Amino acid sequence: MFNFDWLSGVSQETAKMIFLSLYALIGLLVLLLPTEYVYQGIAKEDRHWWNNLKLWSIAVLCILASIYNHF
Amino acid sequence: MLAGIDYFIVIAYIIGMLLLGLYFKKFVNSSEDYFLGGKSLPFWAIGMSIVVSDIGALDFVGVSGQAYRYGISVGNFDWVGSVPAMLLAAFIFIPYFWRGGMYTIPEYLGRRYNQKVRTIASVTWILFFALDLGVLFWASAVLLNVLMGWPIWISILATAGVVGLYTYFGGITAVIMTDVVQFIIMFIGGFALVFLSLYEVGGWDNMVDKIATMGPEYRNHFDIIQPQDTKSPFPWTGILFGLTFVMANAYMIGNQSIVQRCLTAKNEWHAKASMIFGSALKMFIPILVLFPGLMAVVVHPGLEDGDQALPMMIKSILPPGLVGLMFAAFFAGLMSSVDSLLNSTATLFTKDIYEPFIKKGADDKHYLKVGQITTLVLLLIGVATSPISSDFPGIYVAIQTFMSYFQGPIFAILLLGIFWKRTTEWGGLSALVIGIGFAVYLNVFKEQFFTIEDPFLYISWWSFLLGFIINVVVSLLTKKHTEEQLKGLVFSSKILVENKKL
Repeated sequence: MFNFDWLSGVSQETAKMIFLSLYALIGLLVLLLPTEYVYQGIAKEDRHWWNNLKLWSIAVLCILASIYNHF
Repeated sequence: MLAGIDYFIVIAYIIGMLLLGLYFKKFVNSSEDYFLGGKSLPFWAIGMSIVVSDIGALDFVGVSGQAYRYGISVGNFDWVGSVPAMLLAAFIFIPYFWRGGMYTIPEYLGRRYNQKVRTIASVTWILFFALDLGVLFWASAVLLNVLMGWPIWISILATAGVVGLYTYFGGITAVIMTDVVQFIIMFIGGFALVFLSLYEVGGWDNMVDKIATMGPEYRNHFDIIQPQDTKSPFPWTGILFGLTFVMANAYMIGNQSIVQRCLTAKNEWHAKASMIFGSALKMFIPILVLFPGLMAVVVHPGLEDGDQALPMMIKSILPPGLVGLMFAAFFAGLMSSVDSLLNSTATLFTKDIYEPFIKKGADDKHYLKVGQITTLVLLLIGVATSPISSDFPGIYVAIQTFMSYFQGPIFAILLLGIFWKRTTEWGGLSALVIGIGFAVYLNVFKEQFFTIEDPFLYISWWSFLLGFIINVVVSLLTKKHTEEQLKGLVFSSKILVENKKL
C-alpha cells in the first residue's frame, strides 16, 4: 500500500493525462476567482489587462502543460 | 583552473554585492523595516528572490547529477513541484498572511491553534536553519574547492563577511535586492553553460538521438512521467502525491524564508504577483541545472558519480571569463541561501521566541537590535560549526531528510487550519507531534515499507495523511473555537470580494 502498488496498472500516458487534467482544473479554479480579488491593491483607474493576475496564472499553466505534453 | 579574468570577475562580484547590500542600510529604521522591508518591495524583486534563494550552489551539482542518472524527470521539482503550489499560495494563503500583518508562519499557527504549536513549529525551523547554516557553508566551500581550487576557508569567510555585513545592516531589503543581482548573475552564467554545451553536443535533437542509442538504462531519460514501478526516486505516484500535493505546498506555504519575502510586498497585489512571477521564473530553473547534466551523458558518458557531470562540463566547455562567471553564479547560489537562512532565523527567534517569552512589550528599536544581534550570532555559530560537517559526510542529506519529516504534518495543520473552522488547538498539536513521529518511524524502517531507492516523497505523503486524519479526529473530540477566536484566520468566501483588514 505504501508504494502505491494499487496504481501499478496505470500507464505512463494515463498518468500524464492526470497531470494535464490537474493543470486544467487549477486553471478553471483561477478563472473562477472574482476579478475584484485578483486586482486587490491596485487603484481602480490603474487596472488593466496586463496586471490581471488571472492572465498571468493561465499563461504560466499553459507553459507548464506544454512542457508535460511535449515530454 | 581559474584564470586572471575569472578572479577579477569573482572579486568584482563579491565587492559589488557588499556595496549594494550596505546601500540598503539607510532604509532600516524599525523592526518592520528589518524583517519586512517596511512592506515596500515590488513583486519582481520578491519573485526573483524567491527563486534564487531556492537554488544553492549544491543544487547546481546535485540536480545535474540526478539528471545525468535519471533524466528529465528531475525537472518535476521545479515544474509541477512548484507552479501549482505557488498559485495556491498566491491566491489563498499569502493574502491572509499579508493582510494579517504577520511576520512568521508560526505566528499564524499560534493565532489559529495555540502558543505550543507556534513554539514547536518555530523552534523546529530555527534548529533546522541554524544546523543548515554551518553545513551549507562547509559543503558549498568544499564544492567550490573541488570545482575551482578555491581555498575552503576563503569561501567561508568571504561569504560570511559579505553576507553577514549586508544582512546585519540592511535586513531583508538588502537580502532581496542582492538576490535580484544574484539571480541575474546565476541566469547569465547558467545559460552560457547551457548554450555552449548545446553547441558541443550538436543541438537538442542530436543529443536526444545519441542518448536514445546508449542502452536500455537511458530508455526513460526523456520521460518526465516515470512509471510507478521505476527504481528511480521519482515514480509518478510519488511526484503526484508526495511532491505536488504535499512537499511543494509545505515548502511554498509553510517555509518561513519563502513566505517572509512575500510579506515584504508593498500591497496585496504585489504580494500575490510576486508568487506568480516567481512561478514563471521557476520554470527556467531546470534548463539551468538539469540540461547540463543531460548533455554530460553525451559529452562524458560512463561517469561513475553523476555529481561529476557539471564540474566536467565546466572544465571541458567554458572558456576563461565564463568560468569566472559560472563561479560567481555558484557564489550567488551560496550567498542567497545563506542570507535567507540568517534573516529568516533572526525573524523567527525575535518574533516567536524572544518577544513572547523573553521580553514582552519592549520598544521597537529593542527588537530591531535583537534581530541584528541574532543575525550576527547565527553567522558566528554557522562559521564556527562548519568544520564539524567534515566529520559527518552525510550530514547535509541528513538535515534535508530531517526537514522532510516536518513537511507533511505542517502542511496538514496549515491546510485544515485555514479551510476548516472545526479544527482545534489539540487537533493541530497532536497532528504535528504524531505526524512528525510517524515520518521518523517510516524513515527509520524504510527498507521494510518501501521498494524505491529513496522514498522521501512517499514518506511526506503518508505523514501528511496521518497528520490530516489525526487533526480531524482529535478536533471533533475536543472543544471547538468560538467565531470570535477564528475571526480573520479561517478561509471565508468573503475574503474574495472584501478588502477588510483582518
